[in-house]
Amino acid sequence: MQSFLLAIDRFSTWIGKTFAWCAVLLTLLISWEVFSRYALNTPHAWVLDAQIMLYGTLFMTAGAYTLSKNGHVRGDVLYGFFRPRTQAIFDLALYILFFLPGIVALTWAGWIYAGESLAIREQTFSADPLPLYPFKYIIPLAGVTLLIQGVAEIIRCVQCIQRGAWPSREDDVEEVDVAKLKEMVNVQDADIQALDAVVVAKEGAK
Amino acid sequence: MKIRKELWFGLGFMALIVGGAIAMLVSVETVTNGHLGLLMLSLVVVAIMLGFPTAFTLMGMGMIFTWFAYERNTTHTLDLMVQSAYKTMSNDVLIAVPLFVFMGYLVERANLIETLFKSLHLAMARLPGALAVATLVTCTIFATATGIVGAVVTLMGLLALPAMLRAGYSIPLAAGAITAGGCLGILIPPSVLLIVYGATAGVSVVQLYAGAFFPGLMLASLYVLYVILVAKLKPAWAPPLSAADRVVPLPLLTQRTGATAQTHVLPKLIATLKGRRNADVPVGHLLRQLAIVALPGLLFALVAIISYRAVTTVDAAAQYDIQEIGASRTAVSEGGLAEPPASGGLEEPPSSDGGGLQEPPSESGALAAPPGATPDAAPPPSANASAPAPAAAAEASAAGTRPAPTWWWVVFAVLGAIVTLFYLFLSFARLEIFKMLLASFFPLMLLILSVLGSIVLGLATPTEAAAMGALGGFLLAAAYRRLTLGVLKESVFLTAKTSAMVCWLFVGSAIFSAAFALLGGQALVEEWVLGMNLSKVQFLVLSQVIIFLLGWPLEWTEIIVIFMPIFIPLLDNFGVDPLFFGLLVALNLQTAFLSPPVAMAAFYLKGVSPPHVTLNQIFLGMLPFMGIQVLAIVLLYIWPQIGLWLPQLLYK
Repeated sequence: MQSFLLAIDRFSTWIGKTFAWCAVLLTLLISWEVFSRYALNTPHAWVLDAQIMLYGTLFMTAGAYTLSKNGHVRGDVLYGFFRPRTQAIFDLALYILFFLPGIVALTWAGWIYAGESLAIREQTFSADPLPLYPFKYIIPLAGVTLLIQGVAEIIRCVQCIQRGAWPSREDDVEEVDVAKLKEMVNVQDADIQALDAVVVAKEGAK
Repeated sequence: MKIRKELWFGLGFMALIVGGAIAMLVSVETVTNGHLGLLMLSLVVVAIMLGFPTAFTLMGMGMIFTWFAYERNTTHTLDLMVQSAYKTMSNDVLIAVPLFVFMGYLVERANLIETLFKSLHLAMARLPGALAVATLVTCTIFATATGIVGAVVTLMGLLALPAMLRAGYSIPLAAGAITAGGCLGILIPPSVLLIVYGATAGVSVVQLYAGAFFPGLMLASLYVLYVILVAKLKPAWAPPLSAADRVVPLPLLTQRTGATAQTHVLPKLIATLKGRRNADVPVGHLLRQLAIVALPGLLFALVAIISYRAVTTVDAAAQYDIQEIGASRTAVSEGGLAEPPASGGLEEPPSSDGGGLQEPPSESGALAAPPGATPDAAPPPSANASAPAPAAAAEASAAGTRPAPTWWWVVFAVLGAIVTLFYLFLSFARLEIFKMLLASFFPLMLLILSVLGSIVLGLATPTEAAAMGALGGFLLAAAYRRLTLGVLKESVFLTAKTSAMVCWLFVGSAIFSAAFALLGGQALVEEWVLGMNLSKVQFLVLSQVIIFLLGWPLEWTEIIVIFMPIFIPLLDNFGVDPLFFGLLVALNLQTAFLSPPVAMAAFYLKGVSPPHVTLNQIFLGMLPFMGIQVLAIVLLYIWPQIGLWLPQLLYK
């Protein structure tokens, strides 16, 4: 079961990380357009639409990836004080009450929405139109990956309720990775220990 | 037992909200949709406090209540759902979020902070509380460029905390300076918070950036002032640096010239270069030092000449309009007396700015000036550096120009004085500090100011500036040889996660606020608030207090996307500018980062501080800085011009 859950995690992560490169594309595209407009004096009408699409794709597809790493904002004022089993009970209830209806509706509605767009071969409203329907298909894609990831999370909740502890997840890059930051500025744990002696001496002197 | 108590408190709080909502439903005679909306609002606060990911709470709850609002019409509900998702996907304000976040991660990984801190604390060694001041300035700059509170506080906890504690600083003061400084990145633009507020409230991000600049700077300077004051009044808390700590090691080659730290640079370098008395020092080294020494002077001369041309040259077509603006600003309006162009401009001392202004022809004088008049040749840059103002004055008499405005003279007189002082007091030790600043402080400042400047001056949209900033972060990381594929990957993936976190919240809140509006909750809130007969001041105080209280259980993203749509429509009734309100909210949410016991900054610092530094000491250190933030809010309220002056000046 554990390997199945991790496989789902890896799938979401793979999708999220693949589309994450949109950030680099977006940076380069806009920089190039700025250069092209101001230096070469040849602006492109389609770039504005393309940058919106890159941005939308970037964050929509990263939704499941973020969920698989437990990265969505939570109000953890109380949550942090709960025991894991209590956390899992609340999570399970709310996954079923809020998450599933919301995401199923999003996926379903997104599928119809994108299908309608495909039927008329919808294009952006611009001098150099781009096809719009692939972008709209990002909505059901994001919905499906979130749904799969959500199922994995629900199974995790059940496991946690049974065992009283959260099943483990694979590591991922963290915003504040203390070990990495320490390495970056060349600080060892021994240095902090040495500093502790300074603190103790100072407190003792009072 | 303590944990249980907090749990009970939280659960009691939730029960109170639900109880209040139920009491409201029971007390009214007929339950309208609006009451359902308020019920939804109270339920969502409860659900968020239970700890479920907020984006999905909003989405699920919004959808369920939309379904009720549409009288159980599934098709309409689904339409609204997908529309709200698509609206967020094609939002042209939020697109700057991933770009600024990406820039932040790249800049963070360029690892400038160590040199930045070291050079700043050496440069400020003479100030009282030098280390704490340097910490605050480092935090401000680094937090502004990266916007990542956790990383800045952690890094400064690793670098500045040991330095301060070893120098004998009191623990609360050291901890307070780090945490308060690290949180400034939330407020000072380019910050993501202001983009998110702009996207929610429909206020131009450009104006928000222009508006938040001075309040942010004011807050940072208030912090610095406070630290200096404490160091003056309580020297035991922030003892001055010992001589050993202030020693700047000179490079070997410089030492071989026989220079000591106090030797004055310019004569020594030139003497060494000319006399060839130090055969073992390569000329290349000396020339390199000399080039670095000459840099500020050349830069100043360049900026002075270019900007002087820019402010004095008048387009043939636009001549008349620009003349008028220039005239009204410089207050040179002595009619059309065509005074002869002053030829003695070069001899004028810099102090006679006013006199210099009278001499060039004003208004019609410039128009009437003979077109054939030859502009005076620009003096060589060396002369310019020592006597900049008069040198530029010589050009004012050229045809098709107008007198430079007073502000230009003031700015460049001050800059010239700074450059002159720099050369007067340039010793070899200071040269080393200057070189360190050159490698850390100036690149960051350049990045921040060019991103901000291009946005505020309207040269680029925030999106474009953000993309250029990300490219700048790219180059910065490459220049410091930190740009590997691993670092790039980490930054990209973190960007994806952070953007997903912020933007999915918008997907959820879009449908939630749609449901709230459909149910008529907004109208009910408005009716209720107007029924209280508040004055403008009372309303502002009340709303800021509510936001401050919400900052305790909720994160700033949640507060902005859920509660701003409720507050913003009310502003009109009280005649409050949404821009001004946004600045107040941004300052206010700063405070939430420092308010115990939930302040994130404190926990990041605790994570890297020695075990005997207690959380209570850190909280104690943060309290005075919190007080300063409240003071800053009050100051901004009393003098709204602190925030509104720049946007009004630029976008009237």
